[in-house]
Amino acid sequence: MSEFVQYLVNGLTIGAFLALIALGYSMIYGVVRLINFAHGDVFMIGAFAGFGTLTALGATGGMALPAILAAVVVGALTTGVVGTGIARAAYVPLLSSPRLALLIAAIGVSLALEEGVKVLTDARFKSYPHALDGGRILSGAVHVTWGQLVLVVLSVALMAALWLFVTRTVTGTAMRALAMDRDAARLQGINVERLILTTFFIGSLLAGAAGVMYGLYYVQISFGMGFLIGLRAFTAAVLGGIGNLPGTMAAGVCIGLVQSFSAGYVSSRWTDVIIFGLLIAVLALRPTGLFGERVVERA
Amino acid sequence: MTPLTPRDRGRRFRMLTAAGAGLLLVPLAAACGSGGSGGSGAIKIGVPAPLSGDSASAGQDILAAAKVAADEINKAGGVDGRKIQIVEADDQCSAQQGAQAAQKLLNSGVVAVAGGYCSGAAVPAIPIYGRRGVPFVMDASTNPSLTDSGKGKVFRTCGRDDNQGLVAARFMTGPLGAKRIALLHDNTTYAKGLADAAANSARQAGGQVVYENALQPGQSDYGPVLTKIASTRPDVLYFTGYFAEAGLLMKQRKQLGLRFTLMGGDATTDSTVLKTAGAAAGGYIATTAPLAKDLPAAAAFVSAYKAANHADPGPFSVYEYDAVKVVAKAIDDAGSTRGAAITEALHKIKGFPGITGPITFDAKGDRTDPLYITVQVQGGAFTAYKKLDESGATWVDAKTS
Repeated sequence: MSEFVQYLVNGLTIGAFLALIALGYSMIYGVVRLINFAHGDVFMIGAFAGFGTLTALGATGGMALPAILAAVVVGALTTGVVGTGIARAAYVPLLSSPRLALLIAAIGVSLALEEGVKVLTDARFKSYPHALDGGRILSGAVHVTWGQLVLVVLSVALMAALWLFVTRTVTGTAMRALAMDRDAARLQGINVERLILTTFFIGSLLAGAAGVMYGLYYVQISFGMGFLIGLRAFTAAVLGGIGNLPGTMAAGVCIGLVQSFSAGYVSSRWTDVIIFGLLIAVLALRPTGLFGERVVERA
Repeated sequence: MTPLTPRDRGRRFRMLTAAGAGLLLVPLAAACGSGGSGGSGAIKIGVPAPLSGDSASAGQDILAAAKVAADEINKAGGVDGRKIQIVEADDQCSAQQGAQAAQKLLNSGVVAVAGGYCSGAAVPAIPIYGRRGVPFVMDASTNPSLTDSGKGKVFRTCGRDDNQGLVAARFMTGPLGAKRIALLHDNTTYAKGLADAAANSARQAGGQVVYENALQPGQSDYGPVLTKIASTRPDVLYFTGYFAEAGLLMKQRKQLGLRFTLMGGDATTDSTVLKTAGAAAGGYIATTAPLAKDLPAAAAFVSAYKAANHADPGPFSVYEYDAVKVVAKAIDDAGSTRGAAITEALHKIKGFPGITGPITFDAKGDRTDPLYITVQVQGGAFTAYKKLDESGATWVDAKTS
């Protein structure tokens, strides 16, 4: 029983990161109809930007909460800018081209980012300062650390902020309009190009924040870390009904749980088989995702 | 220029035919023109290593060490008056890239190969070098099957996993007093081989293997694996995979408050581990061939390496240095750059004074005196801990040598 609870706690923590990254896939798909394969690498760049910030601040052990928040903010803003730049340089010029051109551009951007960071970091693993190592909330049969709680709370706060932004602001409403029909939105006087860039900014921002949180939690980061986690987040986005934000959040947490339970009860080498098997099953049986239709609520 | 052998004449004929057949075939002919004797340019020695991918930092350390060795040889006048040139190839630690790297090195005309890191990349490379008769001196590929099936053209300056597995098993059942032993690998040729060797030796030494399974590298989250292992109530977990996962295992074991001892193999003694695990690394034990700083003979190499690279050598840098040095010696002894002659000279080398100890190869190409010790993380560094004495029966302090 204690094992089960432990897997549950671990799964929820991973799920919190995955949900944040998956939201980016979902939002960008919503407005541009593009699976942004560079999204995992944007996440990776966030982790490196946060690493740079923490190194510059000289943050080491203990719960240096201001330093952690500063790293999350800098990491998120960096990827926001990077993501917008990518969209401006590689995707916006291709908006009226066939979908395939966009997809191939995304793969190219992904490889360019990965190889770029590889060259800049000598292909070496970097280790975050152990800023979240202090203290456990629960110890004994089940372990929960303060670090885990901080990360989950941060994720939930970011998701809530996104939800408020999408539902309560003019820009958010315009985004939803754009997701429903690009041409109709343009006719209503919406600056489509600028709004697409805004969407990339926000989606990348969330991925960057997740990158820093990942770095704080696992400590070890490398240029290749975005690929697998990006694919898993993509799976979560599909599972949640790509474009459907609440569905994506829920599915992110589900994938985190699947990862944790499959590694615990089956074997860690089966985790990817199970997750991607699930992706195929969902695409085959319920292409709109497990969480309902993607009609109105996509942003 | 030395006289042409029949093989070289054949090659020259092929070159002429190719030139006649048109420009398109020229690159092909150049590809065939490797390993020939004579010539006055630099002698090319190939260094395959993982220069990208998860093990890239280990590969970079190996390449840097090869360059230090080549520089030294060249400053001392080279081999037979010719300079040594290091030709690098990225094997990405994978079988597919390993084969491509081998082909690339042969195409660029290397006369011998000194390097490698992952046994998995060496497996497909060995027959490729073998068909050309180019000797391959491995510095870090420790899987027993590599030299067992290498038919004498494969050598290594490092030890073998079955040797290491034996030392690990004796240490766990001896000084550690472990009864229940858990083994974790990552399904790579090296890690699985070492885990199997350790399991066999542990059973023979009276230990009980309660868990043997693989983790998936690159997942970052090994909490579930560790929780599962903890449920088998082991006294010790011996992880035979690579350093990227080892640091995470240490950290997550501490986060989960698990109490069994964590040990690792020689691929985990990278300084990245210490940074990743932080305080959780304290007390971690690894079986390894002696590290550069535990080898008095390597002091000059360590300072030369630091001067050139502004970093400490990696765990296999000393073995790569010796691999390049012993290849250069063999070329010098043979007075030829033909593969067969170099191979023969390598087999004849007796007690070459390497910085990892005297080097003599047995008929298979393995070192006759491979030695593994255990190291422990103390004060944020890997420190020599225990080793078996010459009789192989008693554990002594490894620092006293």
